[in-house]
Amino acid sequence: MNQTSSNASNMPEASTIIESQVKPATQKKKYSKQNGKGFWKRLSTQKMLLLMALPFVIWLIIFKYIPVAGWTMAFQDYKPQFSVWEQDWVGWKHFKDLFNEPMFYRALENTLGMGILGLVFGTGSAIFFALLLNEMRFMALKKWTQTISYLPHFVSWVIVANIVITMLSPEGVINNILTGIGLIDSPINFMANPDMFWGIVTAADVWKETGWNAIIYLAAMAGVDPQLYEAAKVDGASRWRQMWHITLPSIRSVIIVLLILNIGNLINIGFEKQMLLGNNIVMEKALVIDLYALDYGIGMFRYSFGTAIGIFKSVISVILILICNGIAKRIGEGRVF
Amino acid sequence: MKKQYNLLVALFLVIFLAACGNESTNNTNTKDDDDSDTDEPITLTLFNADGEEKEFNDAVAQKITEETGVVLEFDYPVGGNEEAVPLMIASGDYPDLIFAKGDIGKLIEAGAVIKLDDLIEEKGSNLKAMYGDQLDRLRHSLEDPSIYTVGTYGVDSPVWEPSGTFQVQLDVLRELGYPEIKTLEDLEAALTEYVEKYPEIDGQKTIPLSLLGSDWRWLITVGDPAGFAAGLAGDGQWAVNDDTGEATYKFLLPEIKQYFKWLNGMNAKGLLDQESFTQTHDTYISKLSSGRVLAIADQNWNFGDADMALVADGKEWRTYAPLPVTLGEEYVHQGIKNYGYTGGWGIAISSTTEHQEKAFEFLDWMASEEAQILVNWGIEGVHYDVVDGERKMKEEDRNRMNTDANYGKETGVGYYVYPFPQWGIGAVDSSGQPITPNNEEQIIENLNAAEKEVLSEYSMDNWTDWFPPAEELGVSNHGQAFSYNIQAGSDLEIIMQKADDLTEQRITQAILGDPAEFDQAWDSMLEELEAMDIARANELMTQKTQDIMELWGTK
Repeated sequence: MNQTSSNASNMPEASTIIESQVKPATQKKKYSKQNGKGFWKRLSTQKMLLLMALPFVIWLIIFKYIPVAGWTMAFQDYKPQFSVWEQDWVGWKHFKDLFNEPMFYRALENTLGMGILGLVFGTGSAIFFALLLNEMRFMALKKWTQTISYLPHFVSWVIVANIVITMLSPEGVINNILTGIGLIDSPINFMANPDMFWGIVTAADVWKETGWNAIIYLAAMAGVDPQLYEAAKVDGASRWRQMWHITLPSIRSVIIVLLILNIGNLINIGFEKQMLLGNNIVMEKALVIDLYALDYGIGMFRYSFGTAIGIFKSVISVILILICNGIAKRIGEGRVF
Repeated sequence: MKKQYNLLVALFLVIFLAACGNESTNNTNTKDDDDSDTDEPITLTLFNADGEEKEFNDAVAQKITEETGVVLEFDYPVGGNEEAVPLMIASGDYPDLIFAKGDIGKLIEAGAVIKLDDLIEEKGSNLKAMYGDQLDRLRHSLEDPSIYTVGTYGVDSPVWEPSGTFQVQLDVLRELGYPEIKTLEDLEAALTEYVEKYPEIDGQKTIPLSLLGSDWRWLITVGDPAGFAAGLAGDGQWAVNDDTGEATYKFLLPEIKQYFKWLNGMNAKGLLDQESFTQTHDTYISKLSSGRVLAIADQNWNFGDADMALVADGKEWRTYAPLPVTLGEEYVHQGIKNYGYTGGWGIAISSTTEHQEKAFEFLDWMASEEAQILVNWGIEGVHYDVVDGERKMKEEDRNRMNTDANYGKETGVGYYVYPFPQWGIGAVDSSGQPITPNNEEQIIENLNAAEKEVLSEYSMDNWTDWFPPAEELGVSNHGQAFSYNIQAGSDLEIIMQKADDLTEQRITQAILGDPAEFDQAWDSMLEELEAMDIARANELMTQKTQDIMELWGTK
């Protein structure tokens, strides 16, 4: 799902987060004991590095921290024509409305459901695909396969959704094949079955993003020491054995870091897929939080309500990240902070 | 997804900064004040919620500038952006003229638009003449009975092209020897008979009835036809008693249930297209264009592309005739009811413009006879000729008008009618001639050959002759319920949205389900509606309708 699709784009950002949070902490420890002079000296020797980091820190402040001031909207009856000081403050009203709304819980269930499915199958398929590619010895074919496999990533969801709907329609290719080989008697109307919707979304996402997501795992696999494989070969390990005992353990920390980051994004699965693939019959399975916020928040001029949903999502994300990070810490694997 | 979240955050930021910077933006615009004395035309910016990229430089536009000294500059929401008006309010930066459609209430609340009452009283002679006794219908609300907007729809708009009801392929009528089709049963029988005769059309499977219920169009192809079949007027999701103003959410009514039960039966008999609720608009149009769909229930503007494609392919017999079908003979079809001028939407003048008077003069001029002839017919000698004292569109222009979607945009003919003040297709000028080329005579003349033949077989002039005449139905006292300005974020809006979301889903499931379980499915939907306090929505809507009738003086 989207968590996995945003792997690659998350990486630079994630590393800045790691650095910006790790750096000050370690520096503090090291230099608090020394006198001020040492600190300034160290600072001046690293000024180029700091200068290079500065634009990103500014970017982070402007686009990630200042907007948090907008959260005040959730506690007002926000009207855009008034300034911050003229708004009506209403306390927790919008949160109460939100938590009293059965539709919201349905949206939450769908979001988490599709999020988890996407995470499991998205990560699994990407690792599996990367393993297969990694084992390929014929370089030209490997490059071709890789290029072709990540092309769907660049196709808009609008187009993908149309392809999926057409293929799954009662007169579509899938039904023709299934009836052709005699698996079913009459065509199945896939898009009209709410119970299949999560699966269809997940499958479409896996098709679209597997190749793209595999890139990062492939890069990690390229860094595995070839001597390990040679030693394994000498010991008579088969290809499968090598994958299981060498490749996978070697990239374990990469997998876990990505997993943590993606779990934090579990709730931010967006709404394009659900909006484009969904229809009135499956809506109860397709309604996700972002879609709910769009229809019942912004779409109705209820900015405050929309903001309340946004805050709720952020809180859930932070909790999920903390939990996963704690687990990773306990099992002694690579972690985010 | 991350990106949306960032976007949202960026939006907050914009609003936040804009809210802080309000004062400065207001003050910067006070320059270039008095250019009204010079001969240079004044540029007025117009935000058009339905607008598109367009220069004000076609033949009609030049003539307008010549007459009024006004050049329009169009602004429009990119990609149907819902945020355009709220952002405008947040920045305090308004265009001179604003056509905000349903968002007008937000602008009024923000004090962004001016009251037009005094201007109309003092110098709005054309507008006054145009609206006549319908002027009250422009008023905003009982609490604030001022006029903020003018225009959008024609004042005199009889229905000459029935739309939104069931439509059946002309060939079905011809093959079955031009039967009388008055009820849903008649229609079902006709479709059944035709499919048995022709299971395939041009090598593809015949589809007896196809709907488009996968997105918002559910409302026009599933919801609205139910209302028409039950003899309700076009009030969207509401059934409104036009005398008392009592409004009921229409899916609570037993006759609406009866309609969907019929659809459920159609589905069970295999007469309803299996993809009716999953197909996209493109698929639907391409199906219709292939000529193998026998019946639809749709608005003309929604399947117009298919109609044009069929005619272009020479499949005129595969185009559609609107049918006045109802649940039974006792129901009166309201297909060509005259709703009067419905008010609600319109063009407003912003409170920050320096050209307030000029903007109003321009709007008033657009309501004049001279302007109406110009925007509807174009320029004499260029787009139309006067033959024996009557306006006749040039042959070439008329052909382009009917077949070329870009005609209006290129020449300006007909382009500046909506959403400006307009007399309406039923109006006549001072010499008694129709004010627009879209008069009934022309509409009949523009029907294709097959349509004309079918009409003559039934000895009718126009499809409207099939429907109960508009005179018998009377003019609506409350306009149309779906075009009310309902306050954003109000209880009524929220309950309505929830109820619409629910009914679209539950009714669709009930239609596709086993007929034996239909009643049960329907009852459980009613329970769910009750749980979301639909009774309160009924009350609020009744109140709203009664307020409007009081405001309009039609109570």
